[in-house]
Amino acid sequence: MAEAEIVEWHVKVGDHVRVDQPMVSVETAKAVVEVPAPFSGVVTALRGAPGDIVLTGAPLIEFDSGTVVGSMPATATEEFVESASVGNGRNHGSTRGRAVPAARALAKRLGVELASVQGGGRAGLITLDDVLQHANISATTNFAPTTNFAPATNGASASPGARAIAAAGPADGSVEPLRGVRRAMAQSMSLSRDQVAGSTVCDDADIHAWKQRGDYMLRLIRALIGAWHAEPALNAWYDSVTQSRILVAHIDLAIAVDTPGGLTIPVLRNIEQKTPDELRAAVAQQKDAAHRRSTSPADLRDFTLMLSNFGTLAGRYGIPLVVPPAVAILGAGKVRDDAVVVAGAVHAHRRMPLSLSFDHRCITGGEACRFLAAVITDLEKPD
Amino acid sequence: MVEAIALAHGWEMQRDALVVVIGQDVGANGGVFRATAGLQERFGKDRVQDTPLAEATIAGMSVGMATHGLKPVAEIQFMGFLYPALDQIVNHMSRMRNRTRGRLSCPVVMRMPHGGGIHAPEHHSESTETMLCHIPGIRVVCPSSPARAYGLLLAAIRDPDPVMFLEPVRLYRAMRQEVSDNGEALPLDRCFILREGSDLTMVTWGAMTMETLRAVAELDKRGISAELIDLATLSPIDIDTILESVAKTGRLLIVHEAARNVGVGAEVAALVAEHGLYDLQAPIRRVAGFDTIMPLFKLEHDYIPSVQRIIDAAELTFAD
Repeated sequence: MAEAEIVEWHVKVGDHVRVDQPMVSVETAKAVVEVPAPFSGVVTALRGAPGDIVLTGAPLIEFDSGTVVGSMPATATEEFVESASVGNGRNHGSTRGRAVPAARALAKRLGVELASVQGGGRAGLITLDDVLQHANISATTNFAPTTNFAPATNGASASPGARAIAAAGPADGSVEPLRGVRRAMAQSMSLSRDQVAGSTVCDDADIHAWKQRGDYMLRLIRALIGAWHAEPALNAWYDSVTQSRILVAHIDLAIAVDTPGGLTIPVLRNIEQKTPDELRAAVAQQKDAAHRRSTSPADLRDFTLMLSNFGTLAGRYGIPLVVPPAVAILGAGKVRDDAVVVAGAVHAHRRMPLSLSFDHRCITGGEACRFLAAVITDLEKPD
Repeated sequence: MVEAIALAHGWEMQRDALVVVIGQDVGANGGVFRATAGLQERFGKDRVQDTPLAEATIAGMSVGMATHGLKPVAEIQFMGFLYPALDQIVNHMSRMRNRTRGRLSCPVVMRMPHGGGIHAPEHHSESTETMLCHIPGIRVVCPSSPARAYGLLLAAIRDPDPVMFLEPVRLYRAMRQEVSDNGEALPLDRCFILREGSDLTMVTWGAMTMETLRAVAELDKRGISAELIDLATLSPIDIDTILESVAKTGRLLIVHEAARNVGVGAEVAALVAEHGLYDLQAPIRRVAGFDTIMPLFKLEHDYIPSVQRIIDAAELTFAD
């Protein structure tokens, strides 16, 4: 078709039209059709009035299209003010403690204040070792740094725990910063979780044949010594940095002592050389010292093996946590009467549940199970 | 901003007779966004030439003009239509100086609208700066205000090597700013620090400075003092200014409209990881467009990072 007659305009000059909006009705030889706007813009002129004949291809309408496509209203009426300065791009010098990211994360987990750590890396960079060293000192000397539970000045950076504590009212109980033994426990257990690939195996020792009841601690110590002879791998230290282990030639046994202040683990030295009486005396002395909070720092470090006789309180099996650099801990649960099958018949026997945790980074499951078997063998002896 | 761009053209054409403007509709029509309005009337049809709708030709003409001593400023109507010109840019424009061992250079500016936010059809809203930043031998510049558009365009025209000048369409008419038409260029290859702060470094460029400025103001109310850096030259990156800021704040958030995957933000993050890792107190975070086709207008504001997304990401850097 060559031409059409304008029937009606649907837009006028000054209108803002959008793409596809009906613009004008024209009558051709066949029908009245609506002509849609080909793009968005402001109408600046209409070429022709209703009744006019327009030629196909001749201009019909004019837009000011500051924007041919899209819509771009001037949104801001107020002046845009800014103060930009050109970056000077000089060599930067850090104004904060610089730390290896992993060290920063570890310090956070262990509750170590990074500012108090002496950086041993290049230009004072705080490394993983620096944080670990700092944490170990804290853990083994009952070092009780001042704790500040005031909410951080920057609310957004406070941890969820800090926020909860800051929000606590009198009804929620009083805020109690961890100190001393409990704080040391928090640190050494965090260290355990972060470092040790812990695995635990459980079994029971049938102690029905015991001639005299009673001194579980002494029998457990003797069993550990026996197991060490059978399988020396669990009495060791593991250095995760150099990935090397030392099989220690004597046993310094740490025993877990529960006190109101927290978990204390004093060390009994050279247990393999001590007589039962000496051991009994040493255990009693360390328990006493722990309760009086007079355990000396020297008695808290450098243990090679760990024992927790938690069954004196309650509990059958547990998952004791290995505190590095030691690699194993034996837990003894509550002794009770079990129905056991002996020679095809059910009998009631006293049994001691045992849980052995070991650091699977340097100890195999086979070594751990052989060790546990030897513990059981010794425990099941009548005397 | 679009007027500031026209002003910069006018100033430099007046000052330097070698500057010519080419592109589709740049002459009689004054450019698709009126960025070259009035130039043909003022400087004549020899210096302001309308070209066919052929981007490869526009870029090829620019190479020819530049190697023969002119300083062409070419307009591509939208960044989405740049791609036919990439052959000329990658294979000739960017490497002419190297290929001729310094005998010839290509003082070309390729201007193009960049990004979305104006309800345009398909192909008109993408932010593909990262494709250009990967090409050695060219600069990529993206101003974030009328004043920087003026100063950086002057610097780009005066630069003896090719510059891709990305103009955020969203900013063309979004703000009024007094720009003194004094012919003073701003430095290329430098960031601009738009806000100084002490807790968090935020790096952005182009139109996203608007949302990021609003986020900075809101964060300020919440007690977080953010330092806002406008990257401005996207390639090469002024990493020293960013590293200095990160050393001060210990935290970095990068905001860009372009898709996240291999965006310029990834390069900023990588450089900070290489040279400033030990200053960081939290992981670097990015707020970006999604790794999808840029949606049409109904969804484009969901694609472009919102003020809220920026605030949320900024607060996340304090959560670890």
